[in-house]
Amino acid sequence: MWVFGDDVNTDLMYPQICYTLPEREKPIHAMEANRPGWASMVRVGDIMIGGRNFGTGSSRPAADNLKNLGISCIIAESVNGLFLRNAVNCGILALEASGIHDAVVEGDIITVDFQNSMITDMVSKRSVTFRKLPSFLMEIIENGGIINVLRAKGLLGDPL
Amino acid sequence: MNIIEKILFNHSIEPLTTVSPGDIVTVNVDRAIMVDMAALHPEFVDNPPVKPFDPEKISLVFDHYVPSPNIEIANRVNRLRKLVSRWGIKDFYDAGRGGISHVIGGELGWFKPGSLIANTDSHTVATGAFNTLGRGLGTPELINIIATGKTWFIVGETLKVNLNNRIKKGSSAKDIFFYIASLTGDIPGKNVEFAGSGIQTLSMDDRSSISTMCAELSTEFAVFPVDNVLREYMNSAGINDYSAVEPDQNTEYADEINIDMNSVEPMVAMPDRIINSIKPVSDLGTVDIDVAVVGSCANGRLSDIRDVAEVLHGKKINRNVRLTVTPASRKIYMEASRLGYIETITEANGLVTNPTCGACLGGHMGVVGDGDTVISSTTRNFKGRMGSSSARIYLGSARTVAISALRGYIKGDMN
Ligand code: SF4
Repeated sequence: MWVFGDDVNTDLMYPQICYTLPEREKPIHAMEANRPGWASMVRVGDIMIGGRNFGTGSSRPAADNLKNLGISCIIAESVNGLFLRNAVNCGILALEASGIHDAVVEGDIITVDFQNSMITDMVSKRSVTFRKLPSFLMEIIENGGIINVLRAKGLLGDPL
Repeated sequence: MNIIEKILFNHSIEPLTTVSPGDIVTVNVDRAIMVDMAALHPEFVDNPPVKPFDPEKISLVFDHYVPSPNIEIANRVNRLRKLVSRWGIKDFYDAGRGGISHVIGGELGWFKPGSLIANTDSHTVATGAFNTLGRGLGTPELINIIATGKTWFIVGETLKVNLNNRIKKGSSAKDIFFYIASLTGDIPGKNVEFAGSGIQTLSMDDRSSISTMCAELSTEFAVFPVDNVLREYMNSAGINDYSAVEPDQNTEYADEINIDMNSVEPMVAMPDRIINSIKPVSDLGTVDIDVAVVGSCANGRLSDIRDVAEVLHGKKINRNVRLTVTPASRKIYMEASRLGYIETITEANGLVTNPTCGACLGGHMGVVGDGDTVISSTTRNFKGRMGSSSARIYLGSARTVAISALRGYIKGDMN
């Protein structure tokens, strides 16, 4: 589990250079401007912790880039509105949990208990509660994003 | 409920009793706008909806890259053009036909008071000038909206901004926005609702400049009330089938600020950001410039081009400065031409381009180079926004840009 601060922006997650790179080469550039080398240390299933207004910035596919890097879940003090939408739509969980930033220590293992909306740092044993996402958004995430949902309903057509 | 809550309430697909902060509301969308940038998103061109929820409520507008600056973009927008016959889109504005989506939407009556608009572009909040809700959304979300006609919003808290008095001579609506930004900082997840007796003195161009710039505060929505100026505008556009929305009496707001517009001086945003970066021009000292730009959805409007023409009339710009003026729409271009503004600017050695986003996004029509110092009336000055990341971009009103182009530097005393 990795801990970041306040106002982590979309341009850090998905730098300008990513626009013109092949899909598989994009994730390795995530956060390189403020934590060079971080992306290569991420293992599939890792969780990212943030502070206030996580994901501020533009509508670029920043959440997709973290998902493709292997991040399984984002938990922050507060999640930027547009980023939350983009996260849900690409099928990655972004949760708001007040007090999370100071309750956890980087590198610890944490558990997310959906039954009780509780996040627990398994080393320090400290817990915080998270704000549940409404069920229709959880459904989109469980289906791997909105494109999958629309495709399953037969709403998407041939490429242009 | 305030205006924003009411418009969401009116568009809810489920019957509600009220809407308040923290609620998630699923809504019907009145119109979905796609711009040419959609062609750059593989998730769109590879997975377009089979058909839109209603082809009459879909707009396709080519604005960011008009005309195509390279082969890659020319090929990609050609793919998007196929949608026009596949879906039967009537509201298609190709190169030469329209202009920037946030501007032609107002001209064509797409932004009906009380309505709700979706568009992938982040400056969609521009619709707020028309008592219309609009928010920039990601491409997958727009695919969803086009397919289903629906989306959802989390209702944020609303800040009421009272605009009082009238704009001081020599200052512009852009300066009023800068002043507001200097007070609020960024307010992600929140809404702005404008009120106050000064609104009636603001033209639709002034209101649009302010609502468009609210994107830079990370607001969800920013909306103006309805009044005679808006009603007359809609009337002259031939649009009468709308129901404008006013706040309930005694509506409570999360916060409230008062702006005396008459006390606001010309201001600039210092390079790289707007938030925590605003200064009155008079505090700036002297900053030599290489490039001056007037354009964008916020300030490439007729009143902006008029301001430039008035400043430059009968004069030549400084010999070290390159000035580019980009009208935001075909209609503005033609009016500016009819009124002689284009001739005045051209005689002053300024360059007037075709309508497009152009230099605002650093894609074409005036990309800036290493170390250039720029004064621009556009919307954003993130590092590298207009080209080289070593360029220093100051933002100001069209008038401030024009005066600076004449002098070769930005400096206090703007008369
Ligand atoms: S003018 Fe600039 S801010 Fe407006 S839509 Fe175009 S690129 Fe975006």
